[in-house]
Amino acid sequence: MATLPAFFRRMEATRPAAQAIPAQSRAERDPYHLRALPQENVYFFCKKIDNSRLVREPDPQAKSACWSAIGVATLAVAILAGVLVPGAASTISGYRLESLRAEERRLIDERRALDLQEAELLSPGRLDQLAQNQNLVTPKSDQVFHLEGNKPDAAVAMVKK
Amino acid sequence: MVERRLIVLGVALALWSAAVAGKLASLQLVHHRELASKARAHQEVPRTLPAPRGSIYDRNGQPLAMSLPTQSVTVNPLKLPDVGVAAGLLEQVLHMQGSGLYDKLKQAYEKGRGYFVVKRQITPVEAENVRALPVDWIQIESTSQRHYPKGTLAAHVLGGVDFEEKGNAGIEKALEETLHGEPGEEMLLTDVKRRGIASRQSNEAKPGTPITLTIDERLQFEAERQLEAAVELRGATSGSVVVMNPSTGDVLALASYPAFDPNDPPEAAGDAQRQNHAISVPFEPGSVFKVITLSAALETTNLRPETPIDCGRGSITLFGRTIHEAEARGGYGVISMAQVLQHSSNVGAIRVGTRVGQQNLYDYVRHFGFAQLTGLPLPGESRGKLRKVPQWTATSLASISIGQEVSVTTVQLAQAVSVIANGGLLVKPRLVLKFGNQPAPQEPPVRAIKAETAFTMRQMMEGVVMPGGTGYPEARLAGYSAAGKTGTALIYNFKEKRYTHNYNASFAGMAPLTNPSIVVVVTLNGTHGDSGYGGRSAAPVFNKVATEALRILEVPRDVPDDPTKTLVAAASKAPPANDLSLAGLGAGPNILQDADDDEKPAPRANEAAVVGPTVPNFRGMTMRDVLAEAASRGLTVLPDGSGVARIQFPAPGSVLHQGERIRVRFAR
Repeated sequence: MATLPAFFRRMEATRPAAQAIPAQSRAERDPYHLRALPQENVYFFCKKIDNSRLVREPDPQAKSACWSAIGVATLAVAILAGVLVPGAASTISGYRLESLRAEERRLIDERRALDLQEAELLSPGRLDQLAQNQNLVTPKSDQVFHLEGNKPDAAVAMVKK
Repeated sequence: MVERRLIVLGVALALWSAAVAGKLASLQLVHHRELASKARAHQEVPRTLPAPRGSIYDRNGQPLAMSLPTQSVTVNPLKLPDVGVAAGLLEQVLHMQGSGLYDKLKQAYEKGRGYFVVKRQITPVEAENVRALPVDWIQIESTSQRHYPKGTLAAHVLGGVDFEEKGNAGIEKALEETLHGEPGEEMLLTDVKRRGIASRQSNEAKPGTPITLTIDERLQFEAERQLEAAVELRGATSGSVVVMNPSTGDVLALASYPAFDPNDPPEAAGDAQRQNHAISVPFEPGSVFKVITLSAALETTNLRPETPIDCGRGSITLFGRTIHEAEARGGYGVISMAQVLQHSSNVGAIRVGTRVGQQNLYDYVRHFGFAQLTGLPLPGESRGKLRKVPQWTATSLASISIGQEVSVTTVQLAQAVSVIANGGLLVKPRLVLKFGNQPAPQEPPVRAIKAETAFTMRQMMEGVVMPGGTGYPEARLAGYSAAGKTGTALIYNFKEKRYTHNYNASFAGMAPLTNPSIVVVVTLNGTHGDSGYGGRSAAPVFNKVATEALRILEVPRDVPDDPTKTLVAAASKAPPANDLSLAGLGAGPNILQDADDDEKPAPRANEAAVVGPTVPNFRGMTMRDVLAEAASRGLTVLPDGSGVARIQFPAPGSVLHQGERIRVRFAR
């Protein structure tokens, strides 16, 4: 327990010695020093209070109010989510849809380009040239003879050497 | 006191709410459209929905023309910061050095043009380079480019398109409305990074309708190859080949020479190359036209194939002018009408034509589809020329009888020969098989001549490819029976007003004879010399094209490959004659005199002139072998019983008359 002046004095006492004020009376240090403050003689002290023996009285209404609040909040969140999620999902789907559309267009164009390339490669002129390079030309009529037997199905065209 | 404060607070809240509501109303109702459009302008970007031009396929689904998306670079010359800098930049990025871009841009700027296409059909690398430029005065536009993957194949049929992908020739031009696509447009809602979120279609894209042609690219290739070889071999200037299905009218190949590559811009090839000789260039058909004359004779007179025609000593004098045979200077004497066609006798054809008469000949020429458009969807088709009867001169009947004074196109000839091949029906040729997935509408056939006349003509035309005929042996097919007619017409020089010594050589034929699957007409323009006659220059093309076509179409063979085993009707070992239709005619007008003997009853044909197949010996053969043998010879057999052939009528070796069938009795 200490009075305020004592408290302040104690604080001053903890300062380093170099900074310490010379031990003189206040009046001597400051002739214009005012008188002590009102209630300067009031002392502070710590009082220990033991609340361990206190027990909260059960309140059924508060519990139900709490659950109600939780329920309302959950509902609000659900409603909010119900309102916002479709929009967000729609936006995300929109991104995905547009991306897929662009991909579809690209694939269609790519397929057309490949079709064109295939058509160029299968051009009769090119195939004929390739066949001629490998001696795969159509045999002339006098080079072909048909096997005429009793079984017409067995008739096979062969190329004479 | 409290109540008063509450009232004030309530009023203040009400006013505030009213102000908010009023502002909301102002924003959402009064200025809604303006604000919404501003928002759209910020958030939405227009996007063109591609509608490619319809592809063109051959009858087997092989693409002959198709469009691919491409990109073009455009600028607004009026917004260029500096023309010189812009030109330099673009030249570097688009690899256009030395293209004079600066001059063009400056010219566009001076003329106040707000749109200038810098380069069309840029490569993906060039597009990437342009997009990387930190400028906003360059635009990249999505366009479409037409490709013809087969190059020159069927170029005259397909035609071409201009730089705006509008058809400027061929079927591309004729069916522009069908092939052309209407691009659509949609508004794309984008985020700050211009990524698409949602799209709203404003105009639906309408792609062009794909077209399936009746053309078979394999036949087309073969026809073009053989035509080119023949033109170069014979020194001709141009030529055309038409392959047609006589029953359906499907044009399986339509070749014209010289050819061009439709992928090249029109400036690269001259008009002559782009001219479709098969439909746009009429010519005097010459002896091929005798088929029409003789058909008319079978229909309108009592002349039969075996009816003797007095061809005299190789010339006929009409109205003071003398017309000679092309080959036989000594004349054919009296020969049957079938032999008139086989030898392509000018005198005989004129005598037959005289019997037919002007009006009848005119009518039948029209019945066969001449002097009328065939209706093929190709621009620039010629209907040919045939004067009306009152405008005919005294020589017109004779001239038309041998294929002069009338002009036809190759397609018209194919149509006419199809009449004979399909049993007398005039089937309009068609080039489009399907529009999209829908079959193309087709006009019903019209009967032109009686079926028996067509069959008779078919048999008579077979004689042309038999020994003694003008088409033998060039038009003789290995493994298939065939029939046809050669034609050689002198080309008229309009400057000198006289006939030259250059020919329009042609051959019109069909195969196989029993049930023709194809009709092939070959025309070579500007041949000359002995090798320039139709039988020697055009018939070999017919042979090669028809053989390949029958192989491709998988038509069963109907005669042995070895020609010596082939049924030879009225075989003759005479050398092949030429068929020049105006041999002996000089410059100046022709005056035709009526022959006195035209009105006389026709004398009986001698036995040697009778034309008809000989009956083979079927005895001892099984029914299958008999039927196979008969089918290979084009004969009809009426079998009776089972086992092996025991009795047959008529007897082996006898001549089978027109319409007569062979009865064979089988027994075990």
